[in-house]
Amino acid sequence: MADFKVSGFMYGLAAFVILFVVIESVFFMAKAWKRGKELGISKQTLKNTVFSSILFTIAPALSILTTVIVLASALGIVLPWIRLSVIGNLAYETVASETMLNVFGSSLSAEITDPSQFGAVAWVMTIGTSFALVLLPLMCKTIQMKVGKAVHKSEKSSKTADVISAAAFIGIIAAFIARAIYGKSTDGVGDAGFMSVCTLVTAIIVSLILETLCEKFSLKRLQPFAMPLSMFAAMGMAVLLNLVVPEAVANFTWWG
Amino acid sequence: MNKNKTAELSPYYNKVHFWGRLWSVGALLVLLSVPTAICAHLGVWPDAGSVLKALIKVIPIYWGTAVIEVLTYTPMLGAGGTYLSFVTGNITNLKMPCGLNAMENAKVKANSEEGEVISTIAIGASAITTTVIIAVGVVIFAPFLSKLTDPQSVYSPAFTYILPALFGALGAGYFRKHWKISVFPILIGVAVLFFSPTLAVGTLIFITIVASVGGALLMIKLKLV
Repeated sequence: MADFKVSGFMYGLAAFVILFVVIESVFFMAKAWKRGKELGISKQTLKNTVFSSILFTIAPALSILTTVIVLASALGIVLPWIRLSVIGNLAYETVASETMLNVFGSSLSAEITDPSQFGAVAWVMTIGTSFALVLLPLMCKTIQMKVGKAVHKSEKSSKTADVISAAAFIGIIAAFIARAIYGKSTDGVGDAGFMSVCTLVTAIIVSLILETLCEKFSLKRLQPFAMPLSMFAAMGMAVLLNLVVPEAVANFTWWG
Repeated sequence: MNKNKTAELSPYYNKVHFWGRLWSVGALLVLLSVPTAICAHLGVWPDAGSVLKALIKVIPIYWGTAVIEVLTYTPMLGAGGTYLSFVTGNITNLKMPCGLNAMENAKVKANSEEGEVISTIAIGASAITTTVIIAVGVVIFAPFLSKLTDPQSVYSPAFTYILPALFGALGAGYFRKHWKISVFPILIGVAVLFFSPTLAVGTLIFITIVASVGGALLMIKLKLV
């Protein structure tokens, strides 16, 4: 019997969902591009935004592809592909499918052969992660207006507005920096320790060097790529350290 | 009352919210059609009790995080970027840093119309790139990539530590310009993780943003920045 998880029907479903995502992305980009030109944003800036975003996306997208492949051993390649092309997320999909399979006394380490279990996993993945799409139409506009008002008020002092805006960004980044310094994952992979700190520090140092070079030598074309290049350099450092430092040091984490 | 509220946003923002609402509802229908179509095609409908048992465990975490994420990301990514991010997924590990990086490069503010435009274009480009890479990877590179990312592969640490690499590179520019307000939220984040090391990142982000903005306001009051 053919594997129902990777049938032509499943590939058709994947094509339908992916087409929706691509059309929505193109729609919003086209509207934003047109508005950007009306606002006087240069074509070069808009193009740089696209190219640096593509470069920025390559490594994380490969990481997402890895999750698709990891989940594929139990769920077939198509359902994880669909889920991670839309609202899905690296952690959510794994937890949702594992939780559902645990109810059936199974787990992601074994291939699903029962269509009913497969359907149940698809429902839990979908319902678990779709709530934001219910909230957005109700809340997004209100949140934006309230934030706009607050910013407008604080724009009486432009410096204050700049600092608050930067502080909000830094707040987001700080959470991930803190996790790299002292975080623990639920599955024991990528816990904070020697490797996470070295990768983090490399990324920061390379980024600072590239930004300084861009400013000092007016390398405007390099500037949009400083961030993705720093990220790749740090990933390369993780590979290098894993090869050259003793195993006990490379595997050192705060959590043993 | 409603009219006055609407008038506070520019016509472009109002249009974005109109399109965003339509696409969000459309996306919800498309997402729900996947399990419906699978079950109808296979002729099996899972036992509701079993599905509920799993949902009871998953919903408090995911739906709670969804509320926090909507509150947190909307001011950061603008309307278009937010609507697009929540449909295309992978926000914390990809769309959000991508949008922030693009706005930083273009030197525009998140709550300006210019920021709205740049963020939307960046997130759209990122979403299409991700979709293409996953599709190509599934069709062509699946056997090769599994070897690349296998825990035994020499390249696997690059993917294991992708988040420190990503946020270290993204944070460097901000830390250089605003180092005085950067230290406090990181310390708070580490302190929280000391007591709850596996805390969900959505919750941790909420805490560090409150710490960061609160710390910055205090420093402004004390004239330290």
